[in-house]
Amino acid sequence: MQLSRIVRTAADILYPFILIFGLYIVIHGHLTPGGGFQGGAVIATGSVLLLVAFRYSELTGDLRKGWMKIFESGGLLLFIGTALAALLVGGVFFFNWLANTGSLFGIPVAFGPNPGEIYTAGVIPVMNLAVGIEVWGGLSLIVMYMMGDLEEGGERS
Amino acid sequence: MKRIVAAVIAIFLLGVFMLIAVQLPFGRPSYSDMDDYFLRHGQEETGANNICTAVVFDYRGFDTLGEASVLFSAVVTTGLIFRRLERGD
Amino acid sequence: MIELFFHLLVLAGIVFAAIFVYMERDLLSAAIATGLFSFLISLEFYILQAPDVAISQAAIGAGLTTAIFIIAIRKVGRWEGDER
Repeated sequence: MQLSRIVRTAADILYPFILIFGLYIVIHGHLTPGGGFQGGAVIATGSVLLLVAFRYSELTGDLRKGWMKIFESGGLLLFIGTALAALLVGGVFFFNWLANTGSLFGIPVAFGPNPGEIYTAGVIPVMNLAVGIEVWGGLSLIVMYMMGDLEEGGERS
Repeated sequence: MKRIVAAVIAIFLLGVFMLIAVQLPFGRPSYSDMDDYFLRHGQEETGANNICTAVVFDYRGFDTLGEASVLFSAVVTTGLIFRRLERGD
Repeated sequence: MIELFFHLLVLAGIVFAAIFVYMERDLLSAAIATGLFSFLISLEFYILQAPDVAISQAAIGAGLTTAIFIIAIRKVGRWEGDER
């Protein structure tokens, strides 16, 4: 079953915008609603849109299984590594060792409702990025495995 | 006969659930010390303006670690099931 | 008052989408209606002031689940009761 030219062109045009919106949700996770899981799911929706509109063999570039495996494992390793790095600076597991230090992501915030700075919140943006990459890779990989089954077994209708 | 009994049971259960649901206080959560602590100290302790993210990634970090592990094992299991159908790559 | 009106509109839409999914024999239309169902639930979450859950529901329920259904429909055929 070949999807129509309208669907394919629309998927091609929409993909970068979905990517940018998902990255915005991930990066601004500590300021606005959303976070790593939600942003990663939005980006994975963009990848899956391309996968549904085209065949798996037609996709080139970054949307391959190898890259997604690297993203998924790397995201989980970065997440655990950030939590473990707190032990090196003398805290406990999952201690927020970057907050309020004045270095990277360490600007103190004022109390009360305020727009906020992006370089705040310590390890939370790093963990957001890690979880976002992991969810992107994981959810895309599930659909890619099912598409691989489809390409082998032939289609109907 | 069976259908009538099933319908009576269904209507009875629906009535019970509706009776319980109507009496629940909706939209007015009860006071708790933990919420108050998060709202008062979350911003200065973690530096995040979004208290939801501060709770998910800092105070309750182990929950997020478990969630990430669940997703990882789900993907690995899907790969195990569909692996024999995959060729190369 | 206007909030109650929106609630009733969205909830009626959810019920109609669910009945349509049950009645429809074209599986592709049913999958799209499932996506509409999830999208309306996400709208309801947003009205109830839970934007985090609304983003999750919109991405997972309306996006990924519909895509997985469409992939499965590509494999099994479009019409219900269509024996192989």
